[in-house]
Amino acid sequence: MITINLPNPMGEEHWGLWIALYFFLAGTTGGAYLLSVLFYGKDQGLVRRSALWAFLGVAVGAGLLVIDLGQPLRFLNLLLNGFHPASVMWLGSWFLVLAGAGLLWVYLKPTSRGVQQGVAVLVALVVGYTAVLLMQTAKPFWNASPLLPWLFLASAATAGGALLQLWYPHEKLSRLVIASALVEGAVLALHLIWTYPAATPGVLALLVGPLAWAFWGFVVVGWGLPLFLERRNVALAALLTLVGAFLLRYFVVMAGQV
Amino acid sequence: MPNPKDYAILFDASRCIGCKACQVACKQWNDLEAEKTENRGSYANPPRLTAHTWISMRYYEGLRPDGDPYFDFIRGSCMHCTHAPCVASCPTGAMAHREGGVVTVDEKTCIGCRSCVQACPYEAVHFDEARGVVHKCTMCYDRISNGDQPACVKACPTDALTFGTYQEIRAMAEERVRVLKERGYARANVYGLAELGGTHVLYVLTEHPSQYDLPKAVREAEKRAATGWLSAGIAAAALGAGLKFIVERREALKGGGQ
Repeated sequence: MITINLPNPMGEEHWGLWIALYFFLAGTTGGAYLLSVLFYGKDQGLVRRSALWAFLGVAVGAGLLVIDLGQPLRFLNLLLNGFHPASVMWLGSWFLVLAGAGLLWVYLKPTSRGVQQGVAVLVALVVGYTAVLLMQTAKPFWNASPLLPWLFLASAATAGGALLQLWYPHEKLSRLVIASALVEGAVLALHLIWTYPAATPGVLALLVGPLAWAFWGFVVVGWGLPLFLERRNVALAALLTLVGAFLLRYFVVMAGQV
Repeated sequence: MPNPKDYAILFDASRCIGCKACQVACKQWNDLEAEKTENRGSYANPPRLTAHTWISMRYYEGLRPDGDPYFDFIRGSCMHCTHAPCVASCPTGAMAHREGGVVTVDEKTCIGCRSCVQACPYEAVHFDEARGVVHKCTMCYDRISNGDQPACVKACPTDALTFGTYQEIRAMAEERVRVLKERGYARANVYGLAELGGTHVLYVLTEHPSQYDLPKAVREAEKRAATGWLSAGIAAAALGAGLKFIVERREALKGGGQ
């Protein structure tokens, strides 16, 4: 048996930094592609460029998932060892492969808008399944409320919009980012209140415990400040939003395992 | 409901003396390495299950509302659920039911993704860092498939552990609860009949399961994932349509005003 076991920066058996980083990369770049198809379908240059970022995000993210495995060389077992539709991890692996192939196709070849929208459905599944993956576990912070998919999708829209803003500072994008950030904040607050009775230690770890730096860092630097700066300095607001999107994925992943 | 001919173990908490013979026998038979532990002010040691500890006794002491002292013991281990969340969440089929309803992991197929670790409500599956795969109780499948008893059952000096077919074990558990109720244990109950499709390890308890940190009304992983998919679908539709409406309605109004 060949074992290559790369150390997980978080140690032990937790889903840690690699997973959070993957959620962030796939969520942000996937969100950018979804927004460009949904709102800028006529601008084929933007759609194809965001397809390239999303492809890179999905590919690098998938690489992170593989090195996080205990047996990385057996990663093909995920896809080729039978049919396991009850396992969100199995479905997600297929979504990743199909969305990655679709994104590469959209980037390389001129495609119809129908194809681009079909690939957008696959990308939405990649962005959304990560929340369902957490909900399938026995951890109350992840599954005591059904809001995690809302949080991840809203955050993907905010961060994806911010990514597009970095070289496409368009008025419509600003309104979009503000709207989805407000939804994201409301969903997060509701999720914390909803899960508090079942997952008190996790919620407290976020509010006043060892994860408070990530949580309040997100609230202040990655969410509040960008909202304030959105009309003043779009580039800075977008960068801070991206930092916030990573902090959000990180503290959600960690708080479930407190 | 498990098949009546399935293998099953009965743990009778009213007969257990907390001697840990089962815990030691499990280590010996399965050749599990010792762990460095520390005194945490409880007899429970190690305090939780690990990749190298498949049975860990838990100790509960205190005073009942009427002033009587109690000192209760629970055998913490895999429950071998019929609708096992670890099996449902496994993307490779490595974690699966074997003949007789026993849940084991195939070490040569496992990729070490830790979905099962996160999914188990009994925290009975753990990741072995050194070997990159997960481990758990096998109900001593090597022994029982050769007509012997599991090592823990064989070692128990007080008949708190019994091994047999599910039909026998269930009848024994229900009879024992009837006797305990006659003797004044009004809250005596069998744990594991309703949980996760019926577990292949049944507990006879003298108090409510929550007294022993045993989860009641555990949702199956398939149902948790179904809730997640539904929520994700609604979220994607609502966010997509909502953002489109907010952003483009304003544009349309502006356009109309010009």
